[in-house]
Amino acid sequence: MNPFEKIFNYQIISRLEESGTIAITSHERTWLKTMLAHPAARHAFSEETLTKLQGILAQVEPYDLSGGFVEKAKSQEKQIYHPLLRKFRGILVRKQGMYITYQNRNGKTHLEQRGFPYKLEYSMVKREWYLLWYHFRIKSFMSTRLQHVFSVREHPVSSQVAQETIAIIETSLEMRKEQAVIEVVPAYNQELTRILYAFSCFEKEVEYLDQADTYRIKLFYLEDDREYILSKIRFLGTRIRVIEGKKLQLRMYESAQKALLRYGISMRNPETSE
Amino acid sequence: MAKESFDKEIQFLRMLLLTSGAFSRKQFAERLGISVHTFDKTARRLKDILLSIKKEQAQQDSLELNQFTRFNYYETSEPLLLFLFRAKSLKESESYRLSVLLSAMQEQALSATELLEVCNRLFPSEIVLPDEKTIRSDLKYLEEVGVITREPGGRPIRYRLHNEIITQLTDEELLDLYDYVDVMANTQVPSVQGYMLRDNLKKMVKQLHPAPVFTERFLYKYHFHSRILDEAHLYTLFQAIHQKRKISFDYFTPRSGTKYAAQNTNPLFEKKSTGRKEHVLPLKVIYDHQYGRWYLLAHKHGKGMVKYRLEGITQITEEDVVSVDVFMQQQEQLAESIRYSWLIDTGRPLKVKVRFFNPDGYQPNFVKERVSLQGQWGVITEESDDSFIYEIMVNGITEIKPWLRSFGSSCEVLEPAFLRRDMIKEWKEILSYYESVRENL
Repeated sequence: MNPFEKIFNYQIISRLEESGTIAITSHERTWLKTMLAHPAARHAFSEETLTKLQGILAQVEPYDLSGGFVEKAKSQEKQIYHPLLRKFRGILVRKQGMYITYQNRNGKTHLEQRGFPYKLEYSMVKREWYLLWYHFRIKSFMSTRLQHVFSVREHPVSSQVAQETIAIIETSLEMRKEQAVIEVVPAYNQELTRILYAFSCFEKEVEYLDQADTYRIKLFYLEDDREYILSKIRFLGTRIRVIEGKKLQLRMYESAQKALLRYGISMRNPETSE
Repeated sequence: MAKESFDKEIQFLRMLLLTSGAFSRKQFAERLGISVHTFDKTARRLKDILLSIKKEQAQQDSLELNQFTRFNYYETSEPLLLFLFRAKSLKESESYRLSVLLSAMQEQALSATELLEVCNRLFPSEIVLPDEKTIRSDLKYLEEVGVITREPGGRPIRYRLHNEIITQLTDEELLDLYDYVDVMANTQVPSVQGYMLRDNLKKMVKQLHPAPVFTERFLYKYHFHSRILDEAHLYTLFQAIHQKRKISFDYFTPRSGTKYAAQNTNPLFEKKSTGRKEHVLPLKVIYDHQYGRWYLLAHKHGKGMVKYRLEGITQITEEDVVSVDVFMQQQEQLAESIRYSWLIDTGRPLKVKVRFFNPDGYQPNFVKERVSLQGQWGVITEESDDSFIYEIMVNGITEIKPWLRSFGSSCEVLEPAFLRRDMIKEWKEILSYYESVRENL
């Protein structure tokens, strides 16, 4: 199977789009057949649709990757397709509000709260779905695990309210943006690609200081992602240093200090133990 | 004609995405191992492809490749680099002809002769009309890649588009399928074909629900966009493994300065390639979720098991087939040696024992949650109110250490002693990085 088939060529694709023609290759059907064998498929389709799709693809041979392929350091896949995604899709497409019953992170249940769903977000790290939404009564942008949503029902809002709410959410996201600059310790320049890969899931700009042969990575992220960024910085250890971003720097200082205390080493007198 | 290779484009896009904005044209070209002229040509070509498939963006005529790789997370979850796989070169006349044929067959099943008539009718004067032989060979190709299928019945053979997964579904079912494909392409590997299908389904869904109703509903946080670049070589490798076939390639270790060497077809200008020629028996492809990178593990004569990063592999050529016995023996050995690899380390297995500390107060126990999610085959052996012990057999400490360190002060290494010492040393060094920050407060 060649992923660079001429049928995928950009000029063909663009011409087909103009004429409203859709050409699906056996590559795509093979992939789909393989994915339909995944247990997640049961949550994504009604039994009838799934049977129909399997019928259409009956002649297709799925991939056999056993033996030749393995995934490492994969988080346990708790959840791939959550049954509520279908329910939320309707509300999101119609840009409507909702009544939602959910549990917060401390385990407290909130009944029938009026809100507006914004997007559904899957964390590739936690391997689970979150609902991003606006809570009308407390006027807050929320992120709730779909696992913690007990019920939801659509509640109509005017298109004006919908538009205003989306604007409020987007302003609030904008206000939560933070940035930091991380420098690759030049002794580790050889490991640059590894470090850049680690940060490649964030919005970023890289600067190369020619004279000093030094790389600096400016990261743009939401404050909610700070903990994850910190875990990445600790992950990379001595290879990198935060050179701008007071909050991150202080947290790294505390982290190192407390980690050493676990080994009985006090930072005031670092030579006392071990 | 030699098979078109996309190694240069792959390395180009990878570097663009990873080093976003760091280098000047000259520095960028140097690091890629190409001339500034080739750099400009490649950039222009990729930009052309991008513009022709992203028409909305094309209206903003200032689109720069650089800006393009700075994605806005909340706006779209489009696969940034999929357009690489649309880069196959094609003559204008061929792309025109194939799209006319496909559009015609979307409306009704047609024979080669009937398609020739369609071309006669539709082709503008500046494009050369195909003969029946050309059309027959186009039909053969389209049938091979599975976009068309033969209608039952006798001669003349009529063909129609093979797109029942779209035409036989209701609107609601189509939305279900689009969402599922979107989710699976983003969360599973391999995914290039899934993204291609997503593109197709999206066009269909957009026809049903024209903008502005159609919105991207799903976001994928902490997603590695560059992971699809290496899928370019994946099927060649899978096929070689399946056929038990040796391969050779030019390897650029990720630590070497350049990523690619231009293949000059004119021997007068032939430069010595800076890559290293490798001849190996491929055994397994590994995807590493920690960094979103791919590896090839292979057997090399006289060296035993060798590991390669897929991103350094260029110019793959297939070679001889080995016997089933030889292949099976190598694969079994490999399976045994990576059994305890956190990623791909095949060093001596040892037991790592650590204490994880639960968070203070009434917060949810995110430490334990993360350990059970990411701790692979390790087990929790003891638990108390404030901490728990985690043990794992693992090949060497290099690969697990960053993960343990990422827990900060929630993790104390107990065994082996040298890892404990290492950890202390590193924390001291990290502390020294930030002492001045503390002093400045």
